[in-house]
Amino acid sequence: MSARIYLDHNATTPISDDVRNKVPEWLEHWGNPSSIHGSGRGPKTLLREARETIAKFIGANALELIFTAGGSEANNLAVKGVFEAFQNTEHLARTGAKFRNHYLFSQVEHPSLIRTAEYLRSRGAKVDFVPVSRSGELDIDAYDRLLTDDTALVSIMIANNETGHLFPIRELSDRAHAHGALFHTDGVQAFGKIPVNVMDLGVDLASFAGHKFYSLKGAGVLFAKRGLHLESLIHGGGQERHRRGGTENALAIAALGLQCSKKDEVAPRADQMRVLRDHFEARVHAEIPFAVVTGELAQRLPNTSSLVIPGVDGEILLMNLDIKGFSVSTGAACSSGSPEPSPVLLAMGLTRNEAQSSLRVGLGWSTTREQIDAFTDALVETVVHLRSIGGFDSTTVVTETYVHG
Amino acid sequence: MSTVNEAPTVVQTAAPKKRVLVAMSGGVDSSVAAALLVDQGYEVVGVTMQVWDYSAAECSIEEGNGTCCSSVDVDDARSVADRLGFPFYVMNVEAKFQAFVIDPFIGAYLEGKTPLPCVNCNTYLKFDHLVRKMKELKCDYLATGHYAQVQNDANGRPQIVTSTDDWKDQTYFLFTTDPEVIPHLLFPIGHVRKPAVRAIAEERGLVNARKKDSTGICFVGDQGYDNFIEKHVAKDLLHKGVIRLYPTGEVLANHDGIHHYTYGQRKGLGIYRPEPVYVIKIDAKTNEVWVGDETHLYESKARVVKTHLIDNIEDGERLRVKIRFQHKGDWARVYRKDVGDSSELSIEFEEPVRAITPGQAAVLYRDQQLVGGGWIV
Repeated sequence: MSARIYLDHNATTPISDDVRNKVPEWLEHWGNPSSIHGSGRGPKTLLREARETIAKFIGANALELIFTAGGSEANNLAVKGVFEAFQNTEHLARTGAKFRNHYLFSQVEHPSLIRTAEYLRSRGAKVDFVPVSRSGELDIDAYDRLLTDDTALVSIMIANNETGHLFPIRELSDRAHAHGALFHTDGVQAFGKIPVNVMDLGVDLASFAGHKFYSLKGAGVLFAKRGLHLESLIHGGGQERHRRGGTENALAIAALGLQCSKKDEVAPRADQMRVLRDHFEARVHAEIPFAVVTGELAQRLPNTSSLVIPGVDGEILLMNLDIKGFSVSTGAACSSGSPEPSPVLLAMGLTRNEAQSSLRVGLGWSTTREQIDAFTDALVETVVHLRSIGGFDSTTVVTETYVHG
Repeated sequence: MSTVNEAPTVVQTAAPKKRVLVAMSGGVDSSVAAALLVDQGYEVVGVTMQVWDYSAAECSIEEGNGTCCSSVDVDDARSVADRLGFPFYVMNVEAKFQAFVIDPFIGAYLEGKTPLPCVNCNTYLKFDHLVRKMKELKCDYLATGHYAQVQNDANGRPQIVTSTDDWKDQTYFLFTTDPEVIPHLLFPIGHVRKPAVRAIAEERGLVNARKKDSTGICFVGDQGYDNFIEKHVAKDLLHKGVIRLYPTGEVLANHDGIHHYTYGQRKGLGIYRPEPVYVIKIDAKTNEVWVGDETHLYESKARVVKTHLIDNIEDGERLRVKIRFQHKGDWARVYRKDVGDSSELSIEFEEPVRAITPGQAAVLYRDQQLVGGGWIV
């Protein structure tokens, strides 16, 4: 069998050769970055250099970064950190800030935010979710209605992890700020796939993770704008300016830093992936009758293609492709074997049937045209096979009209 | 001319490997089945059906023993698949399992029957749902860790026959198998005895080599049937009632619901008499349990409905009939009765049989061949 073809770069990315080659050298810096003696200097330098590079990569100041163990922790820290800051009466009294207790999210946020939102609600916060349309657009009218002067924080992702849909963060953050609310964005999925600049986006907080950008698991970053008061979730030895206790994962952070030195590569790589993605979707339209690309005409990440293939169960499609040596995922990805289809697709108004017929293809920097063609051949063949067993009846397919605003 | 003493050159044929979907419970039997398939050169794909939400704590994984298909078992199956080097998937079939296995199981107890959920699981999940998945995954065969065998009969048609290990034979649970499916079934351990199965698992270092055999019903676990029923049934469906002595009708005791009783039961009746008494009838209509002398448990006739025949039988054919899993089988004449769309069987045993229990299956054998069966009413 030929080598496995990896097309699930939205789940995680392979480790770049540059990172692989540097790991042995970084491993020499095993000391504790907080140590005063010589063994701590190496890792401390790694951290400082990485912090500078990453800050430059996202248009921030180095001191505005808090290293975490990953994207989920960064998201938790952003939201709970703001929530706890508003519970801190001493802080409110000292700064004269008014107590706010309303938190606003989109319906299609990552579970690390949806679950956190539910947690805030259990803690007494008022929480709302802004709906999205079938093509993935945020309902701006609803957003405006839900934003109030009690809103403490808005959290809306740059790019959706399943559909790749891009939200107009600058516009959304301006509107939030007009009400005095803080704005957080989950940038994990956009990170490294498209250029991201936190100043241009006008956000106060933004989360990123290394393992979606060809570096190692175990390093995430929260950008927190200077002057923003954030309560710590992990109290400890004073690392990260007392905002995140625990000895830093210098290895994974250094790897993330190295990848961030490739800022100039992001835009051309995005173009390269977009060409291949568009080629893939053109073939899908030509060769798989009734297949739909979710949110095709909306602003999307250049690497993501979320398909609904009527008459085909996404899970069994994935297994077939896996056996053939292709790594892709369904919208209904869940390691625990949950029967529930993707909450993101359901929130967009897709039916359960459609959500269960979904497939997510995520291209990467190393994806080639040959890989895409081999994958498309296998996909087409498998869809024909599954439709022949399932007795696919095309007359049952409801053709949706898409409206784009 | 070939040279003497030289091994013949083996030409590898380019024929594609046959692909097998193997149903893995996480137990030792299906794990060894998978291992043997790998040895035999099949391309193996493993699957575990997640049938029941164990996070709801009915079967606590903290008990550490792992019964059929708890999440610990899923992990064990995955670990075996990884070790043997084939792809493995978990398929969630909780909704189907609820509808086809759990609900009828509970319903049977409420009707005073003693249910046999494993047959429904085989009928609707393993040999229906998974057969479809077999086709969808382009597999040639479906394999399970059942103690059973497939052999061709005199006409060259594949038939299910009992396993080599008589004591473990599980063909009793397979009587609803569709004859069309049988050519696609593999039972890789059907010719192996249980100790040898464990030895193979040990030799391969499979995680579950020493795991205890699952006993009882996977979703019930150690809590007991009555506890399970009480947790899953509305209180007002479980009525207290009386226990009467047959044939006098004398009330001997009260009971807390007929779901606590099964035919032939002697222990736990709360009745103390000089002569032992046994449950001889459970009457759901009157909500009464009848007990009596053991002789009343013996009957020669059984009526069997919702029959399923894998092979044709002659009317009145003499066959060996098993009326419960542990029953060794007794000789009987089997008569066919067509009732509307469905067929019934009337079974006349040569000698009376103890505790013919409604809700259990009567399963027919011609020598070692599984011929079919039906449900005792």
